[in-house]
Amino acid sequence: MKPPRFRYFAPTSVDEAVELLSTHADAAKVLAGGQSLVPMLNLRLARPEVLVDINRIESLSYLRVEDGHLAVGALARHRMVEKAPEVAARVPVLQEAVRHVGHVQIRNRGTVTGSIVHADPSAEMPAVLALLDGSVRVVGPSGTRDIPWQELFLTYFTTTLGPDELAVETRFPLPPAGAGWSFMEVARRHGDFALVAVAALVTADETGRVKEARLSLAGVGGTPVRPERAEALLAGQALEDDVLAAVADAVREAIEPESDIHASAEYRRHVAGVLAGRALRAAMERARRGGEG
Amino acid sequence: MQIQGSVTFDAPPERVWELFNDPEALRRATPGCERLDKVGEDRYEAVMSVGVAAIKGTYKGTIEIRDKEPPHRYRLAIEGSGSPGFVNIDASMEFVPAGGGTQVNYSWDVQVGGPVAGVGQRVLGGVGRWLIGEFFKKMQAELRADAS
Amino acid sequence: MLPESSRHRIRVTVNGQVYEREVEARLLLSDFLRYELGLTGTHVGCEHGVCGACTVQLDGQPVRSCLMFAVQADGREIRTVEGLAPDEERLHPIQEAFWEAHGLQCGFCTPGFLMTVEAFLRENPDPTDEEIREAISGNLCRCTGYVNIIKAVRLAAEKLRAGR
Repeated sequence: MKPPRFRYFAPTSVDEAVELLSTHADAAKVLAGGQSLVPMLNLRLARPEVLVDINRIESLSYLRVEDGHLAVGALARHRMVEKAPEVAARVPVLQEAVRHVGHVQIRNRGTVTGSIVHADPSAEMPAVLALLDGSVRVVGPSGTRDIPWQELFLTYFTTTLGPDELAVETRFPLPPAGAGWSFMEVARRHGDFALVAVAALVTADETGRVKEARLSLAGVGGTPVRPERAEALLAGQALEDDVLAAVADAVREAIEPESDIHASAEYRRHVAGVLAGRALRAAMERARRGGEG
Repeated sequence: MQIQGSVTFDAPPERVWELFNDPEALRRATPGCERLDKVGEDRYEAVMSVGVAAIKGTYKGTIEIRDKEPPHRYRLAIEGSGSPGFVNIDASMEFVPAGGGTQVNYSWDVQVGGPVAGVGQRVLGGVGRWLIGEFFKKMQAELRADAS
Repeated sequence: MLPESSRHRIRVTVNGQVYEREVEARLLLSDFLRYELGLTGTHVGCEHGVCGACTVQLDGQPVRSCLMFAVQADGREIRTVEGLAPDEERLHPIQEAFWEAHGLQCGFCTPGFLMTVEAFLRENPDPTDEEIREAISGNLCRCTGYVNIIKAVRLAAEKLRAGR
């Protein structure tokens, strides 16, 4: 057998799961979609003593639009988000991004919230969370709290989630009406983690200039990155070549990519600037059409 | 893999040198350090618990302070191993006066092997940099706590 | 010291037949199908979710059986490549199409392709080539270069539409 030995629990309620996590703390790991955890178990990279499988907590399998947010329950699979009409209508950038997650077999099992708290900085979902200034709702022994994305991600695969806390929901604030959006990535193969991914959100005024622009990047450091100076440069501007060149420079300045066998840091830095420009243009195009398709 | 940088401390090199030779301060500042026991002159045994993603592990090992030139520089030789793999570190630390304070220049040569190396160079480099950053942040806090 | 591995009694429906077994928690669904049930049509390639050879259907949707534990399939319905053909004499139209269009050479990846494509064509009976490419992007083939696989999927779609 490939994975190391572990004790397996399949709680049917959040309370039961949290109790298991507080009993076993550091020795336990939560199993949701398992599309990142099970490979690590098969390779024996991860050796948790206890697995708390939340797949039987049916109450966590939901998508809801409420108080200006899209609330995605911890058991909502990528595929559920991909196909949901309310996601296509209200948070189209999330729908576009989720199509870049793995392949259909992965998306049928993998969960959006699991991908976020796994905190792979090359993954698409954390970048969308940052773009929309979202948060993750967690339940622990002392109650429920919302962790904004800025306070969630520490570095590669590391979050501020406590060992006795369970992420129960991801909360994506709805983008403003009429906002244009875009999600683009460069990967070695279709479905691979991004070498660099860029998400953009743009609102335009009547003259076709930027009212507000947001950018979020994956694959360029230990956490998703919002290049604040680049965003500030865009306010009130038309997307002319010189503006986009300055934005590309500001993006490259804001990131600290690492080199690996797939791409050098220099390449990632270069691509980040190029993709930012393309994503902004595509988002502006949609903003001019009133945020549709 | 090479991790280098510099950090400034608001105290003269003599004081910073003292801090970087204080086992209690070092233990408190090292992320995940559970124990740091003196076993000889400038020689310590340590137990550290570090997790990257689901790869949590406890590492046991030795830390040796070598080539001491107070209060200018020393080298750290760290060897640790645990179920996720092994880590060997050869670190040089330099304490340079800067204004009224001290600039600590560090250069860590880190070798990682065993299963944990499977997470890849990009991740190990990133996490290594982050852990070292946390260490220096906490050392700065130690100095401030001491001064107040 | 390694912890004790827990054991669990499960009841799984595979290709319409109900199986009850006691399994160790760490037993992968792929290994359960092959070793416990003797259904060796599900192939095991990379075992970390990249190659797609082990694709089976869980409640009708393609998933990687190497990235699930057998215990998680308790109470669920699994369909494997053995469940495709209507009887021992005839092949499923998708299998026929792969045969006729030379959509396989060594055949190692084929069960994974078939289980992926079956679910895909149920949702999208008349796909474009672009949609076919996207649908099979999670299955690796090292022999064919994919061109004939795409032809096979197109042919399978035709056969299935004609059969309706």
